[in-house]
Amino acid sequence: MEYIGHGNKPLVERVITDKAEAKKKIAGLPQVPASRQMATEAIGIAYGFFSPIQGFMGKADVEATCKKMELADGTVWSIPIVYDISDKEIADYGIKEGMSVLLTYDGNPLAIFDIEEIYTYNKEDMAQDVYGTKEEKHPGVKRTYAYKDKFLGGKITLVNEPKVREPFTPYFLTPRQHRAKFAEKNWQRIVAHQTRNVPHSGHEWLMKHAYIAAHGEMPVEQMESMGKAISGILVNCIVGEKRAGDYIDEAIVLTQDELRKAGYFREDIHMVTMTFWDMRYAGPREAVHHSIIRTNLGLTHHMFGRDHAGVGTYYHSYQAHHLLMSIPKEKLSITPIYVLEWAYCPHCGEVTCIGLCGHWNELQKFSGTKIRSIIMDEVKPTRLIFRPEVFDVVMDCAKKYGFGSPFVGEDYLAKAKPAFTIEPL
Amino acid sequence: MAETFPINIWINEERFKALQEAGLANLLKEELAGMKVLIVPCNEAQRDKVLKLFPMAKYDAATTKSIELLPKYVKDKIYSMVVAKKSLNVMDEFIAGFEKEGEKFFQ
Repeated sequence: MEYIGHGNKPLVERVITDKAEAKKKIAGLPQVPASRQMATEAIGIAYGFFSPIQGFMGKADVEATCKKMELADGTVWSIPIVYDISDKEIADYGIKEGMSVLLTYDGNPLAIFDIEEIYTYNKEDMAQDVYGTKEEKHPGVKRTYAYKDKFLGGKITLVNEPKVREPFTPYFLTPRQHRAKFAEKNWQRIVAHQTRNVPHSGHEWLMKHAYIAAHGEMPVEQMESMGKAISGILVNCIVGEKRAGDYIDEAIVLTQDELRKAGYFREDIHMVTMTFWDMRYAGPREAVHHSIIRTNLGLTHHMFGRDHAGVGTYYHSYQAHHLLMSIPKEKLSITPIYVLEWAYCPHCGEVTCIGLCGHWNELQKFSGTKIRSIIMDEVKPTRLIFRPEVFDVVMDCAKKYGFGSPFVGEDYLAKAKPAFTIEPL
Repeated sequence: MAETFPINIWINEERFKALQEAGLANLLKEELAGMKVLIVPCNEAQRDKVLKLFPMAKYDAATTKSIELLPKYVKDKIYSMVVAKKSLNVMDEFIAGFEKEGEKFFQ
């Protein structure tokens, strides 16, 4: 079945699933080891998470992305997807334009890379255009400056699918698998909740707010008469490069799922999956990128809250909203749902939307950092703020996967097993 | 009034009782639907020193305007100093103690 992805273009899927065919295709190709970063993105490209791009970007696409926030063909695109390489590697592997190489990961075949272009790009310009700053303390800028001096552009074909380890296995779905799942659930509208967090009740309310907004004018009666929901919430967790102090990925995925298991969301309304992506913390531009990914997953709506994918004080609280609003509707087929913060109001005695509550001076705002601080102190928060079942899962994950902590520390960075491996073909 | 850069120490029921018994419950603030927090103030120099001594910590300039991600054992020590001194003004002593004794300070 042909699905339509971002830019109203067919959803990309460049994967050879027949092992014998894959072996035949890669026979004799020069092998180039890919870093974790590059392997992750090759997988994302091949499965169509980044449709319509079919490979690592060439210079024209990078330039258009940086300068105009679109691909060379005019499709909205906000973050360059590039393969960096050093001159030495180019010489050592004999890489030339027009040839194909076999990317390997962990010594095993990963993907065929048809090298169409070898080029350079000014990294400071890239940083300024994408992140709005050249400061290296911005993690996206730091990543950009760490790119090697040359880039390779060309199509990617996955020849060996990743093996996703437990507990992530059931949560990793390709864009096509997402769409099949939505069809099975008969969801006609699906709103994305982008996350790299363990949920507190502020997040829970954001999801509820977004669900109600996305469900919009659809009849409740129809939903009830069918006995099953026709709108859903997809919590799509970002799993990728971690920074010290982040929640460990296992805790993020399993606690999000716990919200449904513990009944805070109906079984037929809520679903959790994950996408491999290294956060760039590009704020508004990353919000656009998330819209693109979720369009490719088959979602109809995407919730955007305060400081989406931001870091430090580089972007103002609702800058992502403003950028998304500036994009013509026909260029981004997912509908953004803009939400304000939810906070605890002691006067109301409940969690409420700051756009609705008049007790402005009394509101106690949720802060991810504050909640992390409470968990680090091993204090069980009140259930209005943080669900007890979620707290128990966090602590369980700390023991099982986090070397005693639910937060990324030196041990986790050094010893945690990667979320996926590439096995021998 | 000079700006402060506090450390938030969250208080569980057991500690709350202990603070009540010691007559120190008035030092606590209530946040987030009744959670108790001991807010230990730092001046700018103390904040910079704490961040240098404990590089895993960070000053959250964007939201909480407080020093966060200090390990539990560090906060436990600060808490016990507050209780012993019956004062929130402990950070100079804490910093001096850690600089002198290193990790032994926490034993």
